[in-house]
Amino acid sequence: MTDETVHETHAVDHGSNGNGEDGRLFGVLAEYDTPGELVEAARKVRDAGYTEFDCYSPFPVHGIDEAMGIKRTILPVLVFGGGATGTLGGLLLQWWCNAYNWPWNISGKPVWSIPANVPIAFETTILLSVFTSFFGMWILNKLPQVWHPFFRNERFNQVTDDAFLLGIEARDRRFDADATPALLKEAGALKVDSVHYDPDPATARMPKWITAFIVASTAFALIPFAIAAKARTSHSTEPHIHIFPDMDFQPKYKSDQAMDLFADGRENRGELAGTVARGSLNADDLFYRGLEAGQWSTGFPKQLEINDALVKRGKNRFEIYCSPCHGYDGRGAGAVPQRVAAGGGAWQARNLVDASNPVVINMPNGQLFNTISNGYNTMMGYAAQIPHADRWAIVLYVRALQRSQNASLDDIPSDHRNGMQMPEAPSR
Amino acid sequence: MSTADATVESHHEDAGKARAAFRAVTRDVAWVAEAPKPHKAWIAVLAIALLMFGIGLYSIFVLVTTGIGVWGNSNTVDWAWDITNFVWWIGIGHAGTLISAVLYLTRQTWRVSINRSAEAMTIFAVMCAGLFPLLHTGRPWFAWWMLPHPNDMQMWPQFRSPLMWDVFAVSTYATTSILFWFMGLVPDLATFRDRCAGRGEKVKAIIYGCLALGWRGSARQWHRYERAYLILAGLATPLVFSVHSVVSFDFATSQLPGWHTTIFPPYFVAGAIFSGFAMVFTLLIPARHLFNLKHIIKDEHVEAACKIMLGTGMMVGLAYATEFFIAWYSGNLFEKFAFVNRAFGPFWWAYFLMVGCNVLVPQAFWFKRVRRAPVIIFVLCILINVGMWFERFVIIATSLARTFLPAQWSSYSPTRYDVGLFVGTIGLFFTLFLLFFRFAPVIAISEVKGAMPEAHAGKKH
Amino acid sequence: MSALQKSLHPAEKYKAGKLGVSLQKIGLGIAVVFLALSLVLGATHGDHWKRFLYSYVIAWAYIFSICVGVFWLVMLHHLVRGRWATVVRRIAESMSMAFPIVFVAGLGFVIPLVAGYQDLYYWAHPDAALCLEKVAAGCGEYLHPTLVHKLGWLSPGFFAGRYVVYGVLYTVMARYFTKKSREQDDSGDPQISERLRVASGPAMIVYALITCFAAFDILMSMAPKWYSTIYGVNFWGSACVGGFSALALMVLGIQRTGRLTHSINQEHYHDIGKWMFAFTFFWAYTAFSQFMLQWYGNMPEETVWYKYRLFGEWQWVSIAILVGFWAFPFVFLMSRWTKRIVPSLVLFAVWQLVFHWLDLYWNVMPSYDWIASFHDGAQIVAGPLTGSPAYHHVGFSALDITVWIGLIGVLLAGFGKNLHGNLIPVKDPTLGLSLAHENL
Repeated sequence: MTDETVHETHAVDHGSNGNGEDGRLFGVLAEYDTPGELVEAARKVRDAGYTEFDCYSPFPVHGIDEAMGIKRTILPVLVFGGGATGTLGGLLLQWWCNAYNWPWNISGKPVWSIPANVPIAFETTILLSVFTSFFGMWILNKLPQVWHPFFRNERFNQVTDDAFLLGIEARDRRFDADATPALLKEAGALKVDSVHYDPDPATARMPKWITAFIVASTAFALIPFAIAAKARTSHSTEPHIHIFPDMDFQPKYKSDQAMDLFADGRENRGELAGTVARGSLNADDLFYRGLEAGQWSTGFPKQLEINDALVKRGKNRFEIYCSPCHGYDGRGAGAVPQRVAAGGGAWQARNLVDASNPVVINMPNGQLFNTISNGYNTMMGYAAQIPHADRWAIVLYVRALQRSQNASLDDIPSDHRNGMQMPEAPSR
Repeated sequence: MSTADATVESHHEDAGKARAAFRAVTRDVAWVAEAPKPHKAWIAVLAIALLMFGIGLYSIFVLVTTGIGVWGNSNTVDWAWDITNFVWWIGIGHAGTLISAVLYLTRQTWRVSINRSAEAMTIFAVMCAGLFPLLHTGRPWFAWWMLPHPNDMQMWPQFRSPLMWDVFAVSTYATTSILFWFMGLVPDLATFRDRCAGRGEKVKAIIYGCLALGWRGSARQWHRYERAYLILAGLATPLVFSVHSVVSFDFATSQLPGWHTTIFPPYFVAGAIFSGFAMVFTLLIPARHLFNLKHIIKDEHVEAACKIMLGTGMMVGLAYATEFFIAWYSGNLFEKFAFVNRAFGPFWWAYFLMVGCNVLVPQAFWFKRVRRAPVIIFVLCILINVGMWFERFVIIATSLARTFLPAQWSSYSPTRYDVGLFVGTIGLFFTLFLLFFRFAPVIAISEVKGAMPEAHAGKKH
Repeated sequence: MSALQKSLHPAEKYKAGKLGVSLQKIGLGIAVVFLALSLVLGATHGDHWKRFLYSYVIAWAYIFSICVGVFWLVMLHHLVRGRWATVVRRIAESMSMAFPIVFVAGLGFVIPLVAGYQDLYYWAHPDAALCLEKVAAGCGEYLHPTLVHKLGWLSPGFFAGRYVVYGVLYTVMARYFTKKSREQDDSGDPQISERLRVASGPAMIVYALITCFAAFDILMSMAPKWYSTIYGVNFWGSACVGGFSALALMVLGIQRTGRLTHSINQEHYHDIGKWMFAFTFFWAYTAFSQFMLQWYGNMPEETVWYKYRLFGEWQWVSIAILVGFWAFPFVFLMSRWTKRIVPSLVLFAVWQLVFHWLDLYWNVMPSYDWIASFHDGAQIVAGPLTGSPAYHHVGFSALDITVWIGLIGVLLAGFGKNLHGNLIPVKDPTLGLSLAHENL
């Protein structure tokens, strides 16, 4: 249904239906000659109580904000907030990365170096302020909005060139089909058009090709992420592809690699004759080998203080390394022989405390030490597992065991004798 | 539905004249992009630019596949053409932001004829500049490590380093410049959209239309737009200062004589504006002539730029004088030597070129006759840019070639790949600028209209 | 931007009348009373005038910097054919015409220096050139090897000579701009504006040089072994903060007497506020550049200056300046309303004027305590910025206030002397634009 507007133009209606009919009325659009007249018209319209109206011009017209009663935008406040977030974020980023998560010393500067952190904090402040300002403005302006009903009016094309238009939307409370155009005319409009929605429902829907384009481009955009996600794990037995070789393939030999440069085919050239690796000299015969002038030592190395702590240490080490075979009491019936017996076999470790067959009791300390280090018969050497000092501690404990397992009541100090009945249970 | 020329009868003759003036601005700027065939000169320069860019691409290829050894850098002179070019390009970019932002804040309306091209120039200059820190790392494929991202090595950038400050400053600057430029473009892209729609060029109209975000010149939208523009201008101003200050920190935070001096930040900023303006007008003086834009990019505007160049050139000269004086005043043996070496050492010729082009050449701008002679200005602008290149070269290469230990002293000469890459960036810059000139609104149409006296037509006083 | 013009309100009172004379009398009165009081306090301080002269130099640098800041607006306005500031330019010109009297007042510390006073600037002290070890015909070891070579430059005579040159040049330039501006009141000749514009270029260059060197001479040489190339620029930044703040107060004061009430409005205050904001930021930028670069390079000959300002009692003053001279005004002057509501702007003007003084105090006073040391059994004066920071006290004194008030009186007398005739350039071609000026 076509309206009877005050000044009908000869404008071609775009997209009206076959009957030349138009859709629902959107609003009226008035054109003015000069920016000044536009401002005055806007003032009149505002004074008349209209709110759903806007002015359209190729450049911002000075004075129109006040004439239209446009409230100051909240954008500066948002930008301030964005900037403050940027400052805090920049400082937090630098603090967390360089002073908290992995602090490291760079030329003696404090890990939390405020003067050195200012430049980046400044830049992040500006960056976030800029983003807030830019995106905030478009969002507040509700743009992008590529279509607006007023674009159906041919004069609207000229807004970006030289035209000054004022449009009032029909949904305004005070809109009246006659009075509104009359008001605009009175304010000096060159012409007043009415603008209708397109009646064709197809134009209200997004064209199929745009939908397809968005779906396709989104799908394409996800492809790199999908590849990256897939590439995080691989079950391939092939080596990685090195796009940039960097220093991944270095012309050098790795330890114990085969090497045909030498006749023996080895990269490892062994120890050089007449040299000793640092820390491997071990000159002290007594401490390292239990020998004193070529004979098994009967005492203990001077480095070690023979005290309760050393005995306890020896006990602790004995119970870890020796008790599986020799038992907690040293009599040779530890967990391993028990296991063998449970399987139907018979095997006993050496009884270390046997007074009736005092082989071990009579063994000098140095020889005991040597047995611990290098083993004996089926016993393996424990040199690789037990440091030298600990071995001496074990020797000391074995001596203590030998005494305690063959002790009589007289060996116990008088003040400890009361209440002693059974031997102590082994400690765990 | 050709309505591009459909006008409506004005009530007054004056109003009609005003509207005709607006239409003339639109037409004069738009025809540059709408001309069916590009100008012959444009094609010729584009061909040369593409050739230069090709040389650059080859230089980059050799550099990336072989290594930094193809450059003239050495253990002593470890920064040379690479960083000189970086600082030179960034400096050039600053004029665009200054013209856009600072001249806006100081209400210099004459900026509207040149700000669009200057902003575009900024973006292209920053792109060229960014190539150098990227490539000079030697293994640019690791460059993404400069941005903090979670990784299982807990490896974070070292934020206390000025080189990291550069990363943030230059990326912020590039982002801001692009956003500011785009924001200014939107109303003009809308103009192009409407012109294409009016002529029935559907595809172009859709492209311009999408880019224009549906801009319709609504006063409510202009209000927020103007506010955002002012805010961005207000943000871009300290940003311009900070970016070149951060670049100067690359040198000033060190302990090298000739590098470690507190005046570097403002001195570099002044120098950047100086060389930037020179580059803007190196481009715009021929462009306004070839594309008939002299009535928009007026002689007075060119003259104003000459005065700015004179002013910033004098600031640079003041910095030279202060540095020289304080080098003596400080009593620091190495500092004194550094300055004597600049003038009398192996690169003395570069030093005198620098002083000649930066201090002496702009003195010509005292004379109004020079300020109104476009050809002379064009030549002087090129000389200024040469001088500013040599200033960075003198600071970097001469100081590095003669540092504390004489045993470390060495000579320096560039290789063909140094030169090729620099030539390539010039080619890239001109290519991008020429493409911009051909396809985008090269003058801020809406801003020019807003600055014309006709914009106040019909107003009650 | 509006190309609108307005004309001077018909009922506008723009004649200074007795205003200048009254201000001059008040200023001189304050100066005489408070400087006399200061002399008494200084004589009884018991340190042979040292504290007095330090207060004097700080207060003198203060009044000098205000003239420097205000004069910059005058030159810039002409250089760029500015429009908004025409209504306040005559006031600024009158303020900058205080240069001669300021430089006469400065003789209060220059003359003692020339007459041989040793305790103000260390380079005037004999121990500065002290030779610790005689080697045949020369000196083997100086107490201050990096100071000795500049004692020709930093000698009382040459210093005073340069002082006079600065004073003469500032005066000549201020006088030229003021005189020509007043000539235009009669003739309205636009050529005068043009001539002033042409003159402003070279004037800026001379101004830049003498401001930097004045800062080097009078303030930086308080720590004669220290140096910073940006020092002059930093001083100029703070001078402009002070200058624009003082301009705001001066304009308000004149409006309070009923003059210029129609011509100068919110818009102009807004612009003065913008310059205060801009220079607050610029000062912080140069101050930070100086600090961060010297901190980062960590070279002892440079960091020594900051060592005495970041440890001990002085650290609190440093923090106060960071927060008070930069952070607080910066955040609050960002908003357009704080600049447009005149009481708010005035609050910040006063605030910045106070902190500008504190900044100058911070620049000078850490060099006050000169540590004594011994060499070969004889006591020698090692100079400023030596010894433990714990010995360097902030040491506010009543002298600071009395001398400051006294010299402010001198400054006001200087302003008053030139506040005659028209308070506004009535026939300046840009006056109409300035009266109609509006901010976005």
